[in-house]
Amino acid sequence: MLSSLIVTLVLAGCSDAEKPPEPPKEEPQVEVAPKLDAAALAAAAENIALVPSPAEMQRALEKNGIQAGLSAMVPERKLKMDIENKDVIAVRTGVVLADALLTVKDAPKEKLVERLAAVKAGVAALGAGGDIGAVIDDLTARITNDSVSRDDLVKELDEMHGAIIPELKYEAGERCVPLIQAGSWLAGSNLVAAALSTANNTSAATELLRQPQVADYFLKYVATEGEGKAPDEVIKQLDGTLKKLKEIASKPTLTIDDVNEVKAQTDAVLGLL
Amino acid sequence: MLSSLVLALSTAALADEKAADDCLKTKIWEGYNTGWAVRTATSATLGKGEHRIYLVTLYAGNEYKIMACADTDVANVDLVLYDSLGNEVMRDANQDREPSLSYKANATDTFYIAVHATALNGSAASGGVATAVTYK
Repeated sequence: MLSSLIVTLVLAGCSDAEKPPEPPKEEPQVEVAPKLDAAALAAAAENIALVPSPAEMQRALEKNGIQAGLSAMVPERKLKMDIENKDVIAVRTGVVLADALLTVKDAPKEKLVERLAAVKAGVAALGAGGDIGAVIDDLTARITNDSVSRDDLVKELDEMHGAIIPELKYEAGERCVPLIQAGSWLAGSNLVAAALSTANNTSAATELLRQPQVADYFLKYVATEGEGKAPDEVIKQLDGTLKKLKEIASKPTLTIDDVNEVKAQTDAVLGLL
Repeated sequence: MLSSLVLALSTAALADEKAADDCLKTKIWEGYNTGWAVRTATSATLGKGEHRIYLVTLYAGNEYKIMACADTDVANVDLVLYDSLGNEVMRDANQDREPSLSYKANATDTFYIAVHATALNGSAASGGVATAVTYK
């Protein structure tokens, strides 16, 4: 037993002596993302994910203790898309899309189809009907045939709002996406302000309505239109409303008067559409 | 000739992004089964060391999951979340192509999401990286 061990050790020793020295083992190189400073972040930031969706506003409202369902508060709207001003069409499209998103779970079939048809007409009038038009046709057919569940529709409309609408810039130009988002955001903010006012909840208002950078982002596009050209009445009101919303949203805390002002300001734009 | 080359390159880039988009879409749809919904999904083609920055508003009370998916040309994607002043809030430390960050904001505010392609595989010059912000 002992002799076998000695033989083994000797052989192992000889064997090691004959082997060339192993090269140092290469550690896998770990690449770490560099830390960026505030200036670099601000300079490179894209706004594609900046604006919360109306469905997300609804979720935040619930998380902040307001149980009022926005769905029941969505008003009847008949918004025409066969007009000349494309900025206004974009805002109207965003408003109808918000209505569809907020009511997708419980709106009557016909109403949902009508809202989707308005979204389709809006994006077509903006010059971007191709892909999204086909998506809406497919959705409409499945809603009509009862071959899609409302839960699946929520996913598909979310995807339309969050992933397909941002791509419209390639067909309809850069301006149309923020203006569609502005329409959705205004419609959602209007309902949120109404719910907060009814609940008289200012702490939730501070968390839900303080988004100065969102208002600022929309203002950049609305203001561009105003240069050298008489703005449409809707766009002029939108500009005034966004400036007021930015001012309110920049306060450290909001009062119930601020909430009512948000409601009044957003009512003023939506009433003109 | 040049236009054919440009077309070929952009087609390749789009193909990369499609693979990344498909991967991300699967994750987003799986998320719906556990109560997550999508805010935004977008994709980009990144070279080694390149990044994209997205400004995002996060609501107090909501939970957020930021996810990325890269195609097989990418060896590692890193996600870093910064607050509006540029302070680093969190980052994923894993070496992989499908990172995610979970975050619940104490107050509604804007944040920056940085998506870095820190390493590519083999001789790849770039890869597709899709990113989504989901909430519940």
